[in-house]
Amino acid sequence: MKKLIALFIVIVMSVTFVACSNNTEEAGNKATDETATNTPVENEDVNMTIAVNAEIISLDPHDISDTLSGSATSTMYESLYDYKLDMSLEPVLATGYDVSEDGLEYTFYIREGVTFHDGTPLNAEAVKYNFDRVSNKEKNLKRRRNLLHVVSTEVIDEYTLLVKLDAPFAPMLNRIASIKIISPAALEKYGDKGIITNPVGTGPYVFEEWTPGDKMVVRTNENYWREGPKIDTLTFKPVTENGARIAMLQTGDADFIYPMPTEQVKAVEGDKNIEVIEGPSTIARFTFLNMSKEIFSDVRVRQAINYAIDKKAYAKVVKSGYAVPLTSHVPSTITYHVAQPEYEYNLEKAKKLMAEAGYPNGFKTHIWAPNDTENMKGMQFISQQLSKIGIEVEVVPMEEGTLSDSIYKAKTPEESTVNMWYVSWSAFDFDGATAKLFHSANIPPTAPNVSYYMNPKADELIEAGAIEVDPEKRAKIYAELQEIIWNDAPWIFLGSDVLLSAKRSTTEGIFVDPSGGIIATQAATSK
Amino acid sequence: MKQYVLKRLLNIIPIMIVVSIIIFMFIHLIPGDPARIIAGQKATLEEIEIMREQLGLNDPYIVQYKNFMLGILTGDWGNSLKTGLPVWEVIIPRMKPTLILAIFSIVWSVIAGISIGVISAINRGKLIDYIVMVGASSGISLPLFWLGLMLMQIFSVKLGWFPTTGIDSLSSYVLPSITLGAGITAMIARYTRSSMIEILKENYIRTSRAKGLSEFIVINKHALRNSLVDVITIVGLQFGFLLAGSVLVETVFAIPGLGRLLIDSILFRDYTVVQTVLLIFTFQFIIINLIVDVLYGVANPKIRYQ
Repeated sequence: MKKLIALFIVIVMSVTFVACSNNTEEAGNKATDETATNTPVENEDVNMTIAVNAEIISLDPHDISDTLSGSATSTMYESLYDYKLDMSLEPVLATGYDVSEDGLEYTFYIREGVTFHDGTPLNAEAVKYNFDRVSNKEKNLKRRRNLLHVVSTEVIDEYTLLVKLDAPFAPMLNRIASIKIISPAALEKYGDKGIITNPVGTGPYVFEEWTPGDKMVVRTNENYWREGPKIDTLTFKPVTENGARIAMLQTGDADFIYPMPTEQVKAVEGDKNIEVIEGPSTIARFTFLNMSKEIFSDVRVRQAINYAIDKKAYAKVVKSGYAVPLTSHVPSTITYHVAQPEYEYNLEKAKKLMAEAGYPNGFKTHIWAPNDTENMKGMQFISQQLSKIGIEVEVVPMEEGTLSDSIYKAKTPEESTVNMWYVSWSAFDFDGATAKLFHSANIPPTAPNVSYYMNPKADELIEAGAIEVDPEKRAKIYAELQEIIWNDAPWIFLGSDVLLSAKRSTTEGIFVDPSGGIIATQAATSK
Repeated sequence: MKQYVLKRLLNIIPIMIVVSIIIFMFIHLIPGDPARIIAGQKATLEEIEIMREQLGLNDPYIVQYKNFMLGILTGDWGNSLKTGLPVWEVIIPRMKPTLILAIFSIVWSVIAGISIGVISAINRGKLIDYIVMVGASSGISLPLFWLGLMLMQIFSVKLGWFPTTGIDSLSSYVLPSITLGAGITAMIARYTRSSMIEILKENYIRTSRAKGLSEFIVINKHALRNSLVDVITIVGLQFGFLLAGSVLVETVFAIPGLGRLLIDSILFRDYTVVQTVLLIFTFQFIIINLIVDVLYGVANPKIRYQ
């Protein structure tokens, strides 16, 4: 009994301790100075926190493919060229470039006077080291896919780098923009795995700490080569629960949140301390129609389906109003986008097309997507809309891994079991938003051309566009391609997201670009 | 007693082996190709192939299992497929938050649950009994998500007493622990109450009252202690199941714990992490069961161990 009493005393004490502990107190392992626990530590640093809805996967900028890890590494790393908010490219660590007439040789002029956080100077040698690392097949880093055309890199002089390609590749500059430059000295020192937790770049912030799942903290780079942030530290914090992210913004625990949950916009409307920011995106939302299946092989059926879907209602019902109809297979934020005549909501026309195609009474099919709320809403919406022209769509929600398996296990079009796949795609450039989705070489299991769209003319234009270095000729090729794809309707063209973020009214200089990347180079606060 | 504990500890080995096989089969049987998921939608087929080879996913299952077991025995638990970091570097920082959360939740729910149960039992049939028990029933049926968000809105946003999320200080754990412990408090309260009611009818209670002991001693020394056996069983079981609840609470309050790590890793098919976390959960479950069995004897010395 005494033991039990003792146990209870311990329990009561620990509870009291918890209840009394001040919220400015450091976490247990750091609280060595017990006497000071109740006085809030005066912190002169200006700290800002960005709450996001996912976890940072890795801080090796060459081995990531998710947007959030990209945003996190962008605070510390920079590339030769980078995107501005309008998705055009600007020189960052380069000052300019030349491309040879045959499109096979790119010469980059590296910015002088830039140093990495560890003091290593930035020069052509350092950039070459990075390109070589990414191109290394053995290492199989995720960014390698962006440099597949690179056969060699040569240092011409201290600040000039020559990149040779095996074939002309028009989006080369876009792909170069995806390669962040790491300090070669740090790579030597920490190795390929060690660099994940010891990032050393040239960016506006210097790495401070990263606890996977909890937070990543970076500190302003005092020696930044151009005007940088006006704060001391910046924290990225994954908070997956929408309500919790909003609560953080309401209390000021977060200065910026992304994404802002669309369904909560009304809830914060009256709050003077909070501003909701809308921005266009590169995200296309659509549904693959598997053309290798009898029912979707007729273009009239596919067009009928597009006429039968009310795109405005889609934006309202599924995206809480935060989407705009797609006007081409690429969103309007992508360079070379040309708006096509819309598939207006017209049930009569849809029914007529269905009848002409031999399906006056419709048919049965099914639609796949992951099993989260938003995807469920999207599938149910499509199912409900198509029921009006007699198409009975069974909604099949699947766990994501299972879904991916079900799609890619098919080795040939005949083996494929997918009918419709409700999905989204986001890319930086036209080729990235097209080739994998429409070229006949990219049907599963190679890549996600899940419409099994195989149009020789389209293939030809996709290939021509990818090697045409002249922007005007390229625009012409892509205009023709967009028209063909739009009329062939291998997708249900649904919408393009409007990105929502929210900030405290004191927050300045933090932006979300159309790809969903967070840019905090100029972060400042008046709090 | 010592022998008993030793025997039980030795039993862990075969159990863990069997469990490791089950875990291995389970994660390899669920569909989903980790190489493809990790490489992402935009990966090239070549990239996926190289990755599959590097991860050893092309090996026969038996070879993969052998490598997995050899790794465990030699201390090389492998790297997380998702982040590339060593498994232990991923897991160890996640253990502390979950452990603190679980302990705080259990502690407050034991204190609150037993107190409520006793009060209710003594006042059986009176108004206070009904009020407390209605409260307890709601505790069991409240969805954790909702409760967590409500507490956050009231105590963090409106009153500003506690931080909304994170683990920057111990006070960050208050709201999550209350959320996680709510259901268990209610359950403990109900068990304590019913067990107390039975025991209060016993002859020895009448005897102790008859010999003039104060009501306080009768209740706390004679009645409560005997009803504790039931309560210990519940607490032991619940501690294991706390992990299930901790997934939700960790998500709501953005706590970087094991529960969330497990879910994220399963979705990502991060086999190495999933395997290790599941083994840790199993081990912890076995140990807690052992502790519960030993505690029975502390609560009721009539129980003997063979």
